[in-house]
Formats: sequence, structure tokens, C-alpha cells
Amino acid sequence: MGFAERMLRIDRRIIFLVIGLCTLLPLLFPVGLPIKISSEVRGVYDYIDKLPEGSVFLLSLDFDPASKPELYPQAVAILRHAFRKNLRVMAMTLWVSGTGLADQIISQTAKEAGKESGKDYVFLGWSPGGSAVILNMGQDLYTTFPADYDGKATKGLPVLAGVQNLRDVAYAVTLAAGNPGVEAWYVFGKDKYKFELGGGCTGVMAPGLYPLLRSGQINGLIGGLRGAAEYETLVGQKGNAVAGMDAQSATHLAIIVLVAICNVFYFAMLRQQRRHERIGS
Amino acid sequence: MILLRRQLPLLITMVTGLVMAAQYYVPHPASEQLLTSVTKWLQIIGGFALILGITSLFHVHASKIRRKEAGWGYSLVLYTGMLGTIVVGIWNNGKESIDGALTSFGWIYSYTLVPLQGTMFAILAFFIASAAYRSFRARSREAAVLLVAAVIVMMGRVPLGEYILPLSGDLSSWILNVLNASVRRAILIGVSLGAVALSFKIIFGVERSYLGGGKE
Repeated sequence: MGFAERMLRIDRRIIFLVIGLCTLLPLLFPVGLPIKISSEVRGVYDYIDKLPEGSVFLLSLDFDPASKPELYPQAVAILRHAFRKNLRVMAMTLWVSGTGLADQIISQTAKEAGKESGKDYVFLGWSPGGSAVILNMGQDLYTTFPADYDGKATKGLPVLAGVQNLRDVAYAVTLAAGNPGVEAWYVFGKDKYKFELGGGCTGVMAPGLYPLLRSGQINGLIGGLRGAAEYETLVGQKGNAVAGMDAQSATHLAIIVLVAICNVFYFAMLRQQRRHERIGS
Repeated sequence: MILLRRQLPLLITMVTGLVMAAQYYVPHPASEQLLTSVTKWLQIIGGFALILGITSLFHVHASKIRRKEAGWGYSLVLYTGMLGTIVVGIWNNGKESIDGALTSFGWIYSYTLVPLQGTMFAILAFFIASAAYRSFRARSREAAVLLVAAVIVMMGRVPLGEYILPLSGDLSSWILNVLNASVRRAILIGVSLGAVALSFKIIFGVERSYLGGGKE
């Protein structure tokens, strides 16, 4: 076995070590490279920023702990923005395993902003049915969520004054890690009940949602940790996402270098094989 | 019995399928009321589906433990984990926190489920890197194009990449917004047409696999 072939079959633990170090070192010694704001993220930010005070803003946290590193910072940044703009925040989740996480995000961000549950915001929790929950909310919010996550009756809550169904929502953003998520909110929500919709998703999901963005079916898209870092920059409160961008930069670069090395060895091996064949013939 | 096992489900599917398809185009209050009722039913069915899924999971793993099949120990862990979480969850009324303080259910959630799922997701980065090293090779012209596009997008999506190669940001945005969006749209249209065709086949009883196996 030649050197090139041996290098191509390198022990995977060496690659794991490289990636581990590329993640760990930038977290310990942050560089803080500037983050360029994309038009996709600006779409969500600008829409929230232009909403008049007291508008109803719906945030659907459709993810579970597996996507926490990417979607948690997105949720925190959006909520900080919404609370700063004094919007009436209505939060919920379509993922049962994400309920606890959603509750943590909302209560912590609200506490930080000095907002009161029931008056400034409401966490509706989870209801079974997936996409059917969206349809049901579009018909009547109070039959879908008769009580909020704390068990308080939703009817009569000051934060929901004048809200009967999804048609009364000024803007909705779904932060999704899969299905039901952005597509379900568009098909069963926006398309039928006519409210403006923005999206957030994990990095791997983002390319799949560009058709919705390009056609105006969603007015903005926050993609992965990068999107979260952009939103944090726009809000002016740098958090976990901005801190994580150095690590992501290093790991991306490491993967690019690894792929380049692999190709160099691959072509070296090919040339070696051809030479052997020529000598053999 | 064929009426109950075959013809009645087919009739229910056809009637509800046609009625719900028509409902979308009828803005009359009666039609909206129908949608409200049907979606409520859907939610109830969703709840029952959850019970059915959990029961099935319990059943599968219980028989694995009983027969001491290979890896039954993992089933035991899953079984005790699920039972324990359900009991604690019911005990705490399904609440992870009360007035900001974690309940025992919340403790299980925050210190077991969150780290476990986070770990599973984080491990992906290591395996992706390893897989990329082993298989991302310019074996053909198409593979080379894919390789170059992937490198540009990876560079353009991180600040360091944009710093090293300033053009990568705009190029990556163009690849995602133009090339990727048009291809994804074509796929979406194909998938949607397929879904419409399948829906018609189900509504008119051509496709019956959802009824399960068994003799006519």
C-alpha cells in the first residue's frame, strides 16, 4: 500500500481529533470576525422592527433539544427583539419534545426583558395533531389552546385581547428543525389565513427552503447558527451564536482542507496506479 | 365483513377526501364550521395516534426483553426510561417547571433528554468530516462541479471564509438563491404533482395499501 493510499485510509479518530480541536480552540480563544448580514435574515428583522407597538407576534418553536445549538440562539434573539419592540408575543410549539425547551427560552427572555406572562406574552405550549393544530388555530385559537402552558384560561388574557384566530396575527415566525415546520406553517397557515410569515431553520434545512423565500411565501429566513449570529448582530446583543461562529469558521475550514488533502492523495494514487499499469504492460 | 373491512373505509375516505377538497374553495360559514370540527377531530385522532405509538413501542420492547433477544439490555433501558419518565411526568402534571423552579420531570428533561439529543446532533459534525474526507472526491466532471460548489458555499457561510475569499459570500448566496432554488423548485413541483396523483388514487380507491394487508 502506497503512501497516498495509506493517507486516504487514515484512522477516523485523527479526523475526529482535528474537528474537536477546531471546535474547542476558537471557543477558548475567540477571534470575533465581523459577521455580514444577509438579506434573508434582514427580511425577518426589518418586518419585526416595523411592526407597531402592541402588534400580535406569533413565535412557533418547532424544534427539540437536538437542534438547540442552532435554533435556541435564533429564538432568544428574536424574542429579545420582539420584547424590545413591545409586541404582544404569542409562543407555542408543534413538537412535544421541545415544550420544555420552549418554556425555558420564553420565560428566561421575558424575565430578562421584564415582561409579564399573560399581559405581555403567553406560552401556549403544545397540542397534539401537528399540522391540524395550525388549521385549528386558524379557525379558533381558544378551542385549540383553551389554557396556556401554566394552565391559565387563554380566553380573557390581556395579551390575547382582540385575537380570535390566526387572521389576527400581524406576523408569525416559525423556527423549525423538520416537519411540521416552515412548510406546514405556510401551507396550512399563511396560505389560508393570510398573515405574514418568516422562518428559521437548521443549517442543513436552509437550502431546501430557498424556493419558499424566493417566491415570497416566506419573507425571510434565518438559517442555522450563521443566521442566529446575524440576528444577534442586528439586535446588538451578541450571544451564543456569535460566540459559536469562530468555531464554525474553523470547522468549515478544516473540512475544506481535509477534502482538498483527500483529493490530492486520490489523484496521487491514481497516477501511481497508472504508472504501475504502464510498467506492467 | 368485506363491507366493514373494505367498502366502508373506502367510502369514508372518498367522501371525506372530496368534501375536504371542496371545502378549501368554499368560504361559507358552514364550510368553515365543518373545517373547525374536522380539525378538532384530527387533533383528537393525533392524541390517540400518540397512545397507539407508545403502546406499540412498549409491546415491541417488552417481547424483546421477554425473549432475551440480542440487545435486550438496551430495550430494558428504554423501557425503564420511558416508564420512569411517564410516571414522573404524570406526577408533575406534565410541567417541566413551576414558577421558574424545575420539577423532577423538568430535571429529567433538562439533564437527560437535552444533553443526549445534543450529543447525538454534535456527533454528526465528526462523522460528516470523516465521511467528507473519505468520499468527497472529484471522480468525475459532475463530482468536481459539486465539490467546487460545496467549497464555495462552505466558505461563504462563515466569517473566516468570507475574510479569506471575499467573493465567496456573494457567490454562495448566488448558488443558494439561483441554482439551488431552481433545482429545489423543480423537485418540489415533481413531489407535489406526485402527492396530488396519490391523493386522487387514495380518494377514488385505486390505492388501497393504507387499509393494510389481509384477504379480501
